[in-house]
Amino acid sequence: MSNPLALLGRVATYALLIIAAFVSVFPFLWMLIGATNYSADIIKGKVTPGTALLQNISVFFNSVDMPRILFNSFFIAGVGTALTLLISSLAGYGFEMFRSKFREKVFGGLLLMLSIPFAALMIPLFIMMANFKMINTYQAIILPTVASIFIIFYFRQATKAFPHELRDAARIDGLKEWQIFLYVYMPVMRSTYAAATIIVFMANWNNYLWPLIVLQTNEMKTLTLVVAGLTSAYTPDFGVVMVGAIFATLPTLVIFFLLQRRFVEGMLGAVK
Amino acid sequence: MAQSGLARNEHLSGWLFVMPALVLLGLFMIYPILWSLWMSFQVGRGMAFSFGGFTNIMRLTQDPVFLRALTNTLTFLAIQVPIMLVLALLFANALNDSKLWGRGLFRTAIFLPCVTSLVAYSVVFRSMFAQDGVINQFLMFAHIIASPIPWMADPFWSKVVIISAITWRWTGYNMIFYLAAMQNIDRSIYEAAKIDGVPAWARFWYITVPMLKPVILFTTVISTIGTLQLFDEPNLIPSTPGAPSDSTLTLSLYIYNLSFKFMPSFGYAATVSYVIVVMVGILTLIQFLAARERRT
Amino acid sequence: MTRLSTGWKRAAAVALASVSMFSVTAASALEITVWCWDPNFNGATMKEAAERYAALHPDVTVNIVDFAKADLETKLQAQLASGTTDGLPDIVLIEDYGAQKYLQSFPGAFEPLNDKVDYSGFAPYKVELATVNGQTYSLPFDSGVTGYFYRSDLLAEAGFDAAALENITWDKLIEIGKAVKEKTGGTLLPIDPNDAGWLRIMMQSAGSWYFNPDGSVHIADNPVLKASIETYQRLLAAGISKPVAGWTEYTGSFTSGDTLSTFTGVWMTGTIKANADQSGKWAIAPLPALDGVEGATNASNLGGSSWYVLSSSAEKAEAVDFLAEIWGKDVDFYQKILVNQGALGSLLAAREGEAYKASDEFFGGAPVWQNFSDWLSAIPAVNYGIFTNEADAAVVAQIPNITSGGNIDEIIAAIDSQVRQQVQ
Repeated sequence: MSNPLALLGRVATYALLIIAAFVSVFPFLWMLIGATNYSADIIKGKVTPGTALLQNISVFFNSVDMPRILFNSFFIAGVGTALTLLISSLAGYGFEMFRSKFREKVFGGLLLMLSIPFAALMIPLFIMMANFKMINTYQAIILPTVASIFIIFYFRQATKAFPHELRDAARIDGLKEWQIFLYVYMPVMRSTYAAATIIVFMANWNNYLWPLIVLQTNEMKTLTLVVAGLTSAYTPDFGVVMVGAIFATLPTLVIFFLLQRRFVEGMLGAVK
Repeated sequence: MAQSGLARNEHLSGWLFVMPALVLLGLFMIYPILWSLWMSFQVGRGMAFSFGGFTNIMRLTQDPVFLRALTNTLTFLAIQVPIMLVLALLFANALNDSKLWGRGLFRTAIFLPCVTSLVAYSVVFRSMFAQDGVINQFLMFAHIIASPIPWMADPFWSKVVIISAITWRWTGYNMIFYLAAMQNIDRSIYEAAKIDGVPAWARFWYITVPMLKPVILFTTVISTIGTLQLFDEPNLIPSTPGAPSDSTLTLSLYIYNLSFKFMPSFGYAATVSYVIVVMVGILTLIQFLAARERRT
Repeated sequence: MTRLSTGWKRAAAVALASVSMFSVTAASALEITVWCWDPNFNGATMKEAAERYAALHPDVTVNIVDFAKADLETKLQAQLASGTTDGLPDIVLIEDYGAQKYLQSFPGAFEPLNDKVDYSGFAPYKVELATVNGQTYSLPFDSGVTGYFYRSDLLAEAGFDAAALENITWDKLIEIGKAVKEKTGGTLLPIDPNDAGWLRIMMQSAGSWYFNPDGSVHIADNPVLKASIETYQRLLAAGISKPVAGWTEYTGSFTSGDTLSTFTGVWMTGTIKANADQSGKWAIAPLPALDGVEGATNASNLGGSSWYVLSSSAEKAEAVDFLAEIWGKDVDFYQKILVNQGALGSLLAAREGEAYKASDEFFGGAPVWQNFSDWLSAIPAVNYGIFTNEADAAVVAQIPNITSGGNIDEIIAAIDSQVRQQVQ
């Protein structure tokens, strides 16, 4: 460590990381500061905390039925995440553990389907949901996201690290295949599930275009839709929008911090 | 007999595990895909259309808006994806040092952007890059610029904003993939190289990067698909989607306009979406071939 | 289109219904659902109308749902295009520029109101834009009659009073802007380079549009469009404007005194009056006219919207009756929304009411509503056609070239070819 070049490298590394960390965190600070300022000040780039916080909060709560909106958002994201993890991990496990030529081909086909932009699928999906009488329901939003090709891939990759000896031992003990999945695979892979929870919850929470089309009434709107609506008013009140933005960000942040310790571990399995 | 029974059981279990996902995908993915494939050969407005053969494909070649959206999308791809992945790799390498002080803190901070909410982040970026916004104020305070940059009113700078925004949001996400993969690399290889006097940059270039090739390929493919479908940022950050003057108009945004903003032209919109599919196919193939070639 | 076999579809529907977690609550028998987009403006006026109707018909409730305007348009179009009527509202607000697009591409989706509404009582241009084959589908709502809003105090410093701005031309305004710049250093106008509103205003003020009355493209050979783009280029070259990005920066620019004026629709009045400390410092002049163009006037329109009843509505009769009763006749109602929301309706009888005759101290004691009403009746009617969004997009794409002083004929040719390509 006495090498001056190594020292220089060390300083450069810290400088790089400090700048990166600052740039990453600054918009969050900006959002917090913004919530305390009046709209006009935010537009003018005022970086010091202001006095409008309580007013912004009260305007926000007066214009938004928060309990209902939060329930919608949590219900859709929560149930959606649980179902996605279950269905997609079953498939990832199935594709990896039970190989067959035909299923390999099916799996290959899934990759190409990842590349179709959603905007192109919206109209047929909408017609389908209307035929099922599911317009303006939670399930219309949840069901199309449950079988996620990306998450199936992710679980298939992670399953490669699942020790086969465990499965063989479980079979010798007489466990059925579904029991092996439920009682052996799922507990062993809990880090993988933790990482997937963050990714899937985030995607569901941020889902914008499809809920916009399918949800028709104020009572069914999600927080993402409500905050997006606030920003596109004729004269958006940015202070109020910032309050909404904080509420929209908190849940994903909390989930991340709760699962953070398992997260890197979980990603580890997926890249082996 | 017992053997074949087991095989049949194995076969059946395989299908049972993947079936729920396949049924849902068939319903909510394959059916709409087939519908749009069929639509891409239809011409007409609204819900009155007729078979047009390759008319829509011919129309692509003469459509200035399509060419603009295609150019923008490819520009975003060519600039944003490499910047993001190189940054992610650098950060991951720096954080892979177990003696680094504040490692967990840095990792969390850099990852944080990708767990923010989409609408929150768009509105924050929109206000930060306002004409009198905090970014311009900082740059002027630091004497980097003399007068404010009209970020979202200028065709060049608006692209810079979109690229910065996407890079901000997804660099940490990719970094985690690299970081996880780096922890799989056997420490002793580095120790041996260190003893042989191999400098840090060479250890990074000749050990880390080759060992990470599969992950780099994976993140490249995923980022390519994501950028070719880019919709959220150019839809939510500019004052109006694709502003100013189509300079942030992407293919996905154009598909959306053709379907929901203009006189609905679903057949043509479907054709444009298959352009993305074809490009993803070609680019993925190239990336796989490039990765394979370097191995020999 | 490919249809799944009915049996299969039914089976799937049953299967999905059984996993159904929440079902939609059925609308009560006499609930009218309305979609609109600004809770402080059209939403608030609809609320007022609903209260008035409820006083006469206690059994009817009006449920107002507001979305962002772009979101509402996306939803409406997706829904109409899917061919399913489930989830559509009973009444929807549509911006006038888009009216013909919806009426013509989704025939039968909207209810003609000719039997229930006396259209002779409304501003003619509002009626015309919602008429297809002799049937009129809208209950005309707010007008976007334009005016030139300016800071009378700051322009007076440079020696320009109200008389100097009365019925002028654009070139006169450019001269004024230069003189103001020279004398006080102030910037006259904010300009959003991503907005084609200026062109729509200028074209309509001379009775022209991107399209002929028969719907055919009218761009390359349109002298009004050419004169408008030339005027705009001169205006930008004069150095009397400041670029802004988006609505918030635009309105912030003149309400903060950063720029001295703007030309826009009457609905901007509320935004300006929200700055109570500027009372008495503002005035409104008629829109400048185009120079050397046949049919040029000092009256035009920007935006504005109207109410439409969906044919699929279960409460169609009540919805039509509601619109006809309150929006079609109630003069007192129009006074109320004028005062509270600054909404200038297009019912001509309303201008005889008290509120319309009042003068406004905020604008130096001028009878602003009376003035706007006079200009409103002078707006030339044009056919917005079904491709205004496409044409706007083509113009916006060329704005950088216009700004940088590009050749107008080439620019118009580029707009023309993009529009022709898009409307095929």
